[in-house]
Amino acid sequence: MTDCGCDKAKAELEEYLHRELSDEDFRDITEHLASCEDCNSEHLVGLTLIEKVRKACQETAPEELRIAIRAKIETLRFG
Amino acid sequence: MLALLERPGPRPRGLDSALMPDDDQSLRRLFEEQALPYMDQLYAAAMRMTRNPQDAADLVQETFVKAYQAFGGFEQGTNLKAWLYRIQTNTFINSYRRKQRDPYQNSIDELEEWQLAGAESWTSGSSRSAEAEAIDHLPDSDVKEALQSIPEDFRLAVYLADVEGFAYQEIADIMKTPVGTVMSRLHRGRKLLRERLRDYAVDRGIVAAAPAPPRPGEVTS
Repeated sequence: MTDCGCDKAKAELEEYLHRELSDEDFRDITEHLASCEDCNSEHLVGLTLIEKVRKACQETAPEELRIAIRAKIETLRFG
Repeated sequence: MLALLERPGPRPRGLDSALMPDDDQSLRRLFEEQALPYMDQLYAAAMRMTRNPQDAADLVQETFVKAYQAFGGFEQGTNLKAWLYRIQTNTFINSYRRKQRDPYQNSIDELEEWQLAGAESWTSGSSRSAEAEAIDHLPDSDVKEALQSIPEDFRLAVYLADVEGFAYQEIADIMKTPVGTVMSRLHRGRKLLRERLRDYAVDRGIVAAAPAPPRPGEVTS
């Protein structure tokens, strides 16, 4: 096994975070992250950012909207 | 009303699908069971798109009306969530975006390279764990504000990927752009977002100001 190196890991980190890599590339980068503190900390920032944005953006639709949409649909026919 | 012009379903209702219920009543029930549960998610996306609750509510309502009218053409078994997002994104782009003032509108190409420079260059390995911790400690309102402040196309790409977890190809279909464009918007959007969050963290005293690279021409607003 050869380490894929920081350049590849950094270049593909975002695709790694979004699970857009082939299995092989995914494995290579996982291995590199396990042994490279620098890239691993960059990965951690990426993960934290995703999780933070995901949580911050949760909303519940207002009840009036729910009622309005249901009522509206009752009046419509399928095209 | 543009609904009829942009009906996203490829087929008229009732053709070649044994799964398709053939009366309006059961189609309506199916819609209520399958599509309406996405209301919270579509509303959350609409809030990030329009940036205010009234427009967000209007956008979601228009989305469901269009979706309902086109539902007969929706192919059961394909991705309903992506289909709904496609309708909402189209609706937003066609009817809401125009009337909203957006200082970044159409200005993506004008962003200077320094604005898009890597946020990584700010932090070394040791302070990056501090950065992660700082991001984690920011209030949600800062995160939403930071997201609002980045150019719309970037914001949408980041939202669809990071909040909704859509695959790049799905985002490309929703935004009607090539996958390469999605990747570049995502990349740039996340960099800008990270930069803004870092500024917030510094302002709040969560992290010490790092020796940031010079940012010539920065406008203070």
